Amino acid sequence: MSHDYVHAEELTKVEGHATLTVRFTNGRVEHCELRAVEGSRYFEGILLHRHYVEASEITSRICGICSVAHVLASIQAAENALGVQPSEQTAALRVLLTLGEHIRSHAAHLYFFALPDYVGFPSAIAMAADYRTEVGQAIALLKLGNDIVRTIGGRDMHVVSATVGGFLKVPTAEQLDGLRARLEQLKPAAVATAELFNSLPYPEFHHQAEHFSLHDDHKYALLSGRIRSAGHEFAKEDYHRFLSEYQTPDNTANFVVREGHTYMVGSLPRVLNNGDQLSPDAKRFLKAGPLAKGSDNPLHNNVAQAIELVDALDHAVRIMEELRPKPEPVPNIAVREGRGVGAFEAPRGTLWHEYVLDGTGHITRANVITPTAQNLRAMEDDIRLMLPTLEGQSREEMVAALERLIRAYDPCFSCSAHFLRVTWL
Amino acid sequence: MSDRFKVGVYGITGCAGCQLSVAFNEDELLTLFELLDVQAFPFVTSANKEEGFDLVLMEGLVAAPRDIELLKDVRSKTRILVALGTCAATGCIPAYRKYTLPAEYQHLFYTKAEDIQDVDPTPIDAHVKVDYTIPGCPPSEWEILSFIKTLLLGKEWRPYRSPVCVACRRNGNFCLLDLGKPCLGPITCGGCNAVCVNGGFECWGCRGQTNDANHKAYIELLEGKGFSREFILERMRTFVGLKITEPELVQ
Repeated sequence: MSHDYVHAEELTKVEGHATLTVRFTNGRVEHCELRAVEGSRYFEGILLHRHYVEASEITSRICGICSVAHVLASIQAAENALGVQPSEQTAALRVLLTLGEHIRSHAAHLYFFALPDYVGFPSAIAMAADYRTEVGQAIALLKLGNDIVRTIGGRDMHVVSATVGGFLKVPTAEQLDGLRARLEQLKPAAVATAELFNSLPYPEFHHQAEHFSLHDDHKYALLSGRIRSAGHEFAKEDYHRFLSEYQTPDNTANFVVREGHTYMVGSLPRVLNNGDQLSPDAKRFLKAGPLAKGSDNPLHNNVAQAIELVDALDHAVRIMEELRPKPEPVPNIAVREGRGVGAFEAPRGTLWHEYVLDGTGHITRANVITPTAQNLRAMEDDIRLMLPTLEGQSREEMVAALERLIRAYDPCFSCSAHFLRVTWL
Repeated sequence: MSDRFKVGVYGITGCAGCQLSVAFNEDELLTLFELLDVQAFPFVTSANKEEGFDLVLMEGLVAAPRDIELLKDVRSKTRILVALGTCAATGCIPAYRKYTLPAEYQHLFYTKAEDIQDVDPTPIDAHVKVDYTIPGCPPSEWEILSFIKTLLLGKEWRPYRSPVCVACRRNGNFCLLDLGKPCLGPITCGGCNAVCVNGGFECWGCRGQTNDANHKAYIELLEGKGFSREFILERMRTFVGLKITEPELVQ
């Protein structure tokens, strides 16, 4: 009987810190553990007794790479609890902020984390000499996404201008015109990205995970709508009936399952669930590539990210053609007791914030469920499925194949390491 | 070019935002990697050499046993260690939990509290010698560049110690304190170009207190504007509580 171990001490080119340990005997996986090794940060505990208006400034620090997502999910949860309906202008600016984050995150992930694996380099920097155009495109798209976030959020990270009820400061029409010109100018780079990622040699791999994402009847859903998969649909407020969190000993990350089953969130679920709402150009790449007939290959998440990149540029241009922002005072909000849920499509999947407020607007319970926490189980299941197919390869090749698989999910281990459970009464 | 600075960029418990801020120097990124011999940067590359560094930028606070191990190991291999960002400098928001009652967390743990492999949340200088600090949550991108340039030119880095208000006034912002917001700009080190106030949001003090900050007077000033002492202390402790020098504030 031959025992074999695969242990990746520190996964690289992922956000945060995680290790992977696998033991298999005669080709059978006996043990598989993907561990976030970050220290616990107790964000939900830190939120207790803080006023709802402070929550977004605190929770944005859960993650530098999806800070817009945490800010907007936090604001949405508070507004949901207080019955606040944001203005049309605020809603449009929030979508733009979201698109800016999707553009920079997808560009960075596709070129800096995913592509080096497919072209045989350790990093995008090492690729730069041979792939100057591609790396140049990546940096230009990253900068464009950052500049959209800087212009609308006031900062590129941990944005400050968005608040409960509206915006503390709005961009000028001229600023939006400048960004729109750059979006149009960089459209060919986004198109080239989609062409490239439609054509990469993805390993053959299948895993029937349930694909969950927001769905809005009227638009490609980023921060509105209901939660949907092929077989289920529910309102965001009802998520406790569908999702349950648990933790394994000695691991600072939460695991999340739906009625005991694995599910997946992220670009692939979004594109497959809502593909008919993509922009015409994005749809073209959906119909002409590996996703044309749907996909149960999680490695195709990279394809979906590239398609969403094209859609994000088109979507932002459409909004900027109409939007002429005017300063709007943030409305006075009548504080009341209540519970609110925010559900938001972060670049790497659906992010949940839930707060319970007392009569003075202070938080008495908080819960945050991150995309990576929801994907952890799916990633582990994938590793179990993939390992037997790698038999005969060297240890290094196996680790490389598994790392590529994990990276495809665009995981964020800092986000998932928040380590708290809330007992709901 | 073997005489290039050997550099490592690492993160311990944190949000990766400070490491991203290195990369968000979009126009200078490739030049930076040409000027420096980046030996290790596990966030962006799978080829990492850990033989010896001239300079290591360290993001994050100590909150797990692994953090201490990595920190001590890296310290022993580098000539210069930089605390990059507020987590490394002060413990930032994760360390704020020291001001909340442990009992309130008990019911929130998945496992029993005594089973958690937890370490007192601390800035990195509680564990190793730190040569320089670049504060901010996250630090300004240009400040990281400016620090590296100063080092390469063989000059001494001088952190910005004047209050946030200097740049804020120059930028023509309305004073948020005058508008009744609990802005901590007057007692906080600038160097951020008052980015939060430019965006309409009051300063929360993430870059640390100025040398001559008078917390007692500032608390009274904010109390005079109608804020409760409890609220003011919460704000002051949120980012830099562990490094506030006046002991009555850090109990």
